[in-house]
Amino acid sequence: MAAWLVDRAVRAISAMLFAVRNSLFSLACLLVFGSVVLLLRARPTHSSPQEEPQSTPEPTPPPAPPAVPSGPVIVLDPAHGGTDTGARGEGGIAEKDIVLRMMRTVREQLAIQGYRVVTTRRDDSNPSYDDRAAVANAYHDAIFISLHVASTGTSGTVRAYYDQFSTPESASAVLGIKALAQPTSPLVVWDQAQRPYIDVSHHLADVIQGQLARSFPGSPTLSTGAAVRALRSVMAPAVAVETSSISKSKPDALAGAAGPLSSAIAAGIVALRQSNGAGAR
Amino acid sequence: MPRGLKIVLVVLAVAVVAGLISLQPLRRRIHRLGESRSADEQARHAVLAPPISTPTDVTVKAQIFWAAGADNVAPVEVDLALSADPVERSRQLLQALISNPPTEEQRTLPVETTLSAFYLASDGTAIADFSDTIASGLPSGILSEEMAVNSITRTLESNVPGLRRLKILIHGQEVDTLAGNVDLTGFFDLNSVPASPTAAANMSSPR
Repeated sequence: MAAWLVDRAVRAISAMLFAVRNSLFSLACLLVFGSVVLLLRARPTHSSPQEEPQSTPEPTPPPAPPAVPSGPVIVLDPAHGGTDTGARGEGGIAEKDIVLRMMRTVREQLAIQGYRVVTTRRDDSNPSYDDRAAVANAYHDAIFISLHVASTGTSGTVRAYYDQFSTPESASAVLGIKALAQPTSPLVVWDQAQRPYIDVSHHLADVIQGQLARSFPGSPTLSTGAAVRALRSVMAPAVAVETSSISKSKPDALAGAAGPLSSAIAAGIVALRQSNGAGAR
Repeated sequence: MPRGLKIVLVVLAVAVVAGLISLQPLRRRIHRLGESRSADEQARHAVLAPPISTPTDVTVKAQIFWAAGADNVAPVEVDLALSADPVERSRQLLQALISNPPTEEQRTLPVETTLSAFYLASDGTAIADFSDTIASGLPSGILSEEMAVNSITRTLESNVPGLRRLKILIHGQEVDTLAGNVDLTGFFDLNSVPASPTAAANMSSPR
């Protein structure tokens, strides 16, 4: 009887050890497989930390893109963020949150159309103006779109702005601009980086504004030149788009402007590329 | 369900309904409070900032650019006693722009804004130094900030000959933006009529 009991115990312990060994082996296999996957994903593929395919929290991948894969990189810049709330509306709604929602929709829509999209922020952070510009400046063929919501203005209208430089402040800045004018000069004055692109940005803003005027009645038909700080250091065609207004519109209505906004931006890019590939540097 | 729990739930439901009912009047009261504070601020500002007058003042029809609708600024012709000295003239115009909009809806600069100093260099470069309330009291947005800057620059260029460009300082300092969007690090070009040789003084002192 005792021998039988010992035999049963030994068999049970053996079975348990066998199961443990198998489990450990499976775990080791999983670890090796996981490491390989992580190593492959971490391999650099010329992408900024903000590039969407790696960072998108949303699990829904865009459907197979149509044949526009070789377009410029579109840099979407949701304005403000963090402690800088931007414009504020009733009930504590803030521009920084609405432009983030708008950015997600615009990004998705443009990705569906086959455009490569990166963003300057995708959470409640507040990168500096220069950091935002640097995202666009890292690419050779970028288009920078800064998204804003106004405190004022006729509700339901949208405006596109291009940077209209004020007079440079110092003589050194003037010298910097002269250097820029020479095609061989490798130096660019960071504060004046947008200056060589003003005409292209103006054209892009006009096309976008024309589209917006159709989608948002009451909007101007031509874009506006203004000293927009967010555009000044961008070394690429750059436009700011501002929807009115946070004080009179519901957040959902404002965020809903993102759909027509995506179409307007896409139309602007097409027009820009048609006019002798002006988007390329 | 125990009887005590039912009573608690009923009491809570009543409290929520009462809260919802009282919310709207509360919001109206807060809104009224804000309006009265704005009126008080305007009255205080009018007392603290007496009109600037100089011996050379002549009453003229000045064009002051205030808001015209929600999206633009447009000139409004007002009778204003303006100095022949360009610095004093600019100060008088900017004070009128801040203090005397025909209606509150036409206001482009916050009521509590004050012009701390105004300088003019011989090359036509003007520097206007505003109190920091111009930034803190202005609604953030490219449109509202652009309208504020436009109202200042267009008022000056329409009424002060010889001004070539304008730099805006806040509290004596250069700042990156007005209220988060419009760039204040450079100069704003003014396309005013050329000054007569005696109009622009050499680097006038702040008043």
